Amino acid sequence: MNKPAPEAAPARAPTDWKTEAMQKRIRRRYARERRFKLFGMLAVILSAAFLAFLLFTMVTNGWRGFTRTEIALPLDFPAMAMKIDPAQLSTPGANLALAGAELEDKVSNAALAAYGAQSVPLLSDAAWLKVREALKADPSLLHQKKLLWVPASTQVEQGLRGNDAAAAPLAKKLYDAGKLHTGFNAGFFSESDSTDPVAVGIWGAFKGSLLTMAVTFLIAFPIGVLSAIYLEEYAPKNRWTDLIEVSINNLAAVPSIIFGLLGLAVFLGSWSLFGMRVGPLLPRSAALVGGVTLALMIMPVIVIASRNAIKGVPPSIRDAALGIGASRIQVVFHHVLPLAMPGILTGTIIGMARALGETAPLLLIGMRAFIVTPPGGFTDPATVLPVQIFLWSDEVSRGFVEKTSAAILVLLVFLLAMNGLAIYLRNKFETRW
Amino acid sequence: MNPLALLFLIAGLGLIGWLTGRARAQRIDRGGAKRLHSLPSQHGWYVATWAVLPALLFVAVWASLSPSLVRDAVLEHPAAKQLPQFEFERDALLAEAKRVAEDPDAKAFDPLAAELAPATRAAENRYNWMGSAVAILLAFAGGLFAWSRIRAQLKARSQVERIVMLLLLVASLIAILTTLGIFLSLLWESLRFFEQVPITDFLFGTHWSPQVIEASNPGKSLGAVPLFWGTFFIGAVIAMLVAIPFGLMSAIYLTQYAAPRVRAWMKPTLEMLAGVPTVVYGYFAALTVAPAVRDLAVHLGMPFASSESALAAGLVMGVMIIPFVSSMADDSIAAVPTAMRDGSLAMGATHSETISRVLLPAALPGVVAGVLLAVSRAIGETMIVVMAASGAANITLNPFESATTVTKQIVDLLTGEAEFDSPKTLAAFALGLTLFVITLLLNIVALRVVKKYREAYE
Amino acid sequence: MTDAHPAPHKMSARGVSVSYGDKQAIRDVSIDVDMDHVTAFIGPSGCGKSTFLRTLNRMNDTIPSARVTGEITLDGEDIYSSDMDVVQLRARVGMVFQKPNPFPKSIYENVAYGPRIHGLAASKGALDGIVEQSLRRAGLWDEVKDRLNDSGTALSGGQQQRLCIARAIAVDPEVILMDEPCSALDPIATAKIEELIHELKGRYAIVIVTHNMQQAARVSQKTAFFHLGQLVEYGDTDNIFTAPRQERTKDYITGRYG
Repeated sequence: MNKPAPEAAPARAPTDWKTEAMQKRIRRRYARERRFKLFGMLAVILSAAFLAFLLFTMVTNGWRGFTRTEIALPLDFPAMAMKIDPAQLSTPGANLALAGAELEDKVSNAALAAYGAQSVPLLSDAAWLKVREALKADPSLLHQKKLLWVPASTQVEQGLRGNDAAAAPLAKKLYDAGKLHTGFNAGFFSESDSTDPVAVGIWGAFKGSLLTMAVTFLIAFPIGVLSAIYLEEYAPKNRWTDLIEVSINNLAAVPSIIFGLLGLAVFLGSWSLFGMRVGPLLPRSAALVGGVTLALMIMPVIVIASRNAIKGVPPSIRDAALGIGASRIQVVFHHVLPLAMPGILTGTIIGMARALGETAPLLLIGMRAFIVTPPGGFTDPATVLPVQIFLWSDEVSRGFVEKTSAAILVLLVFLLAMNGLAIYLRNKFETRW
Repeated sequence: MNPLALLFLIAGLGLIGWLTGRARAQRIDRGGAKRLHSLPSQHGWYVATWAVLPALLFVAVWASLSPSLVRDAVLEHPAAKQLPQFEFERDALLAEAKRVAEDPDAKAFDPLAAELAPATRAAENRYNWMGSAVAILLAFAGGLFAWSRIRAQLKARSQVERIVMLLLLVASLIAILTTLGIFLSLLWESLRFFEQVPITDFLFGTHWSPQVIEASNPGKSLGAVPLFWGTFFIGAVIAMLVAIPFGLMSAIYLTQYAAPRVRAWMKPTLEMLAGVPTVVYGYFAALTVAPAVRDLAVHLGMPFASSESALAAGLVMGVMIIPFVSSMADDSIAAVPTAMRDGSLAMGATHSETISRVLLPAALPGVVAGVLLAVSRAIGETMIVVMAASGAANITLNPFESATTVTKQIVDLLTGEAEFDSPKTLAAFALGLTLFVITLLLNIVALRVVKKYREAYE
Repeated sequence: MTDAHPAPHKMSARGVSVSYGDKQAIRDVSIDVDMDHVTAFIGPSGCGKSTFLRTLNRMNDTIPSARVTGEITLDGEDIYSSDMDVVQLRARVGMVFQKPNPFPKSIYENVAYGPRIHGLAASKGALDGIVEQSLRRAGLWDEVKDRLNDSGTALSGGQQQRLCIARAIAVDPEVILMDEPCSALDPIATAKIEELIHELKGRYAIVIVTHNMQQAARVSQKTAFFHLGQLVEYGDTDNIFTAPRQERTKDYITGRYG
């Protein structure tokens, strides 16, 4: 190998790998290799750590949102002398009657009598509501003295948790006297928005999310699947088909807020048509308009997933069905569609999860109202879970930080469940041919 | 009639149509000498389609027309003369009257609304019954017509299939309609905006303060350059400085170095970052990251650092984009033929030399396309900047200062109490149009690059 | 196996077995490779000849499940020992693959890649010299000297394969492994490569895997016949093709199976 080279270029001396310089160089290269690998590992670990840190922050901030501090409130109902007939308490008019009997004032007077005047409020805004429910459940209470546990004010609650210095001594004193206890906050799952963080719940927003998702599914799923079938099985190769494909691919990448603008202009705007004023087509702030808007947003996701699923069904199955005289429609609806269904469902669930976590477009179509009563139907003013989180996040009080994080945990659990289901479906039904 | 009840009724009529149609076809089949062209159930579908489809179409049209009809009827009422001329207020009053009319428990705040409520209720009832009656009549007529046409030779199957095909086509046209709807509505509102504000003021003006708009010269305070800069700075610079190295290195580590078991666990874990709703990121950015960034800035000697810094929003946005960059990079690196890798390794290149000198350059088009898509995703991201970025429009290079973005301004402009036709609200649509066009261009370029790249290796 | 050379062998394999998971691909192979020789590995496809070739510069390391036992030495050093640096080993034992795999870079950069990573050129001028010399030795210089900045992938298949050979030469290896280097080429390109192998053999120990017996007969001095993961026969090419000692070798050479 040391022969001189016969060519024009100058011959070179053979490489000696054993020289000190060469060895050093190789050591340097290996060090670089290790560094590179380390950077990769760090990137993965840091990304995962960020996720863990985010979840950790939400859990540490949020777990207390599922608890509620209650205060012992001795109530002397006969002494309150409420102008109310016990029989009324089991009628639908009970709420109005109790409000008329100034129950709210009487309850705060009871607190005043029991604990004296304090620098911070003791009772939550929801305290008298709890008394009201107790009275409705047992009208005989009107003739008794009774000790009820009612929600304490957010100051007392935070004082007890060490987050409110002003209320902390009082809370500690009450706690030591056995007048406070903290328990599971069932109201968080059954109440709606409120100005008092102790009294808020996610039920209203959750119901709004359910209604919105129902609309989204009922629109996006059939339209998405039908267009996927058309594009994959029947569409002729022409300019129209190209246009449809380009539209779908671009819609999949349009920022979600643009769909909010679309909803605002098209569904909530009004314009004149042949001299007649048309619109708004849909009621503002309602689950209906939110659902339609989100449906347009996730439709491309469903179309793309469904097309891939349909593409995955081998042509031999189509040939077999066509061969025994099935029509092209029958081939698709009897054979291809059932086989593609797991893939279609996976895509649909992922799309629905995206819709469930979406906030921005809904802000623009008015679903950010302060909703105290859960929506009764598709056209009632409603909000959804992510928007509720957004609204609460604007509140600075510590009590709302806990509730916001708690609501985030609920939302994450749902999204995780949906994505988990999608992954399960994908693994379970992965190509059987 | 309650709309849901009406839909159920129509569906019920459809079911009856299906049953009677099938029964009639079966009778013909059994009794006659002629063979049926189509199956009895297909005759059933034929009748059901005729019963349901025209009625549903009518319901859809009627639902979009009747509010205007009701409105016109209410405006005929003598009390309507007192309605304010200003459209926005008038609409609010009419909406209130409608609410009172529909909900017996509701109370009207405005006496005029209370006065108009009975008229509204009457008009609503009238048009509702009219519409329901016509819809049911149509369902009956359609069903009867189809039922009467059933005979052995009837090509019920091909008729039904033709309608199914039509349905499929209509479904896929909705994508085009949506795209057109987005483009036209944005364009329409933007044109109205540019009637009031010169387009050059909007595109090249450097002063943005929609809170104070001079009526005589609205363009002076609606210059969007600071927003474009903020969007670019947060979404395309800061976020990408996080997302590209992290996404790329994660993809490299997971595809090239990690043991299969590690990869099987870590890949879905990183993908979870993409599944976290943006409102959660926004909350996290505002609650945890932004104060930390401000403290850091104070440490670095900037005592007046913003607690709504561009850096906080950009950092969190970057983390959100990591899985996006990572999966695109993963795909493009996987698409480089193994022969390249082997060729380099066989020459004594180390693994990292092979990756950075052969695999990455070969995968570059795919990675670039992925980054373009990630940028388009980042500049369209809304909630993180709404919650963590500032509303103050600055042109700054200092990441600790505040910057605002197009998406944040759209939300701010449209969630105030402004009337619909003001330059302020219309500006949101002009911003939306700009955003739409830019993301569209980014996507088209990215898809082109990806396509070319795929062709290179196929 | 006769040992005609008094000098120590360039590479020696003793009792080498390779398995992927529980599947054994190579069983107990012992063979020697010498300088100034072309050694051909022949055998039906799937017989393990390519697998064995890849053990000679440890390219099997890239397959996680592959396990190699036995001893392979280069100039007397065990290449699988922990002292042996795989980067240096592969620089000394170069490889050319079945399908031409130039990097998607310019012709110049393709050849300069190895010297660059190994730091073999002290200056730009030295690097230019190495590139030119390597391309000359690979017989490609005259065809590409005016377009060194064109992409390597733009060349024809035969040119690409010669570029890959130039790329391997540029690192100044002692042994060159060729894994069916002509199987993706047309006859004219194949002839050029064979000619090139002939010229290179004076400078390097060359091992070539081929399924083409005529090619083995044309280019090699030693031939090893593999079958079902075993080395059936190894000897001078002339003897193998004219007077095989094993029945299986004879059957293969006469075309009974393959």
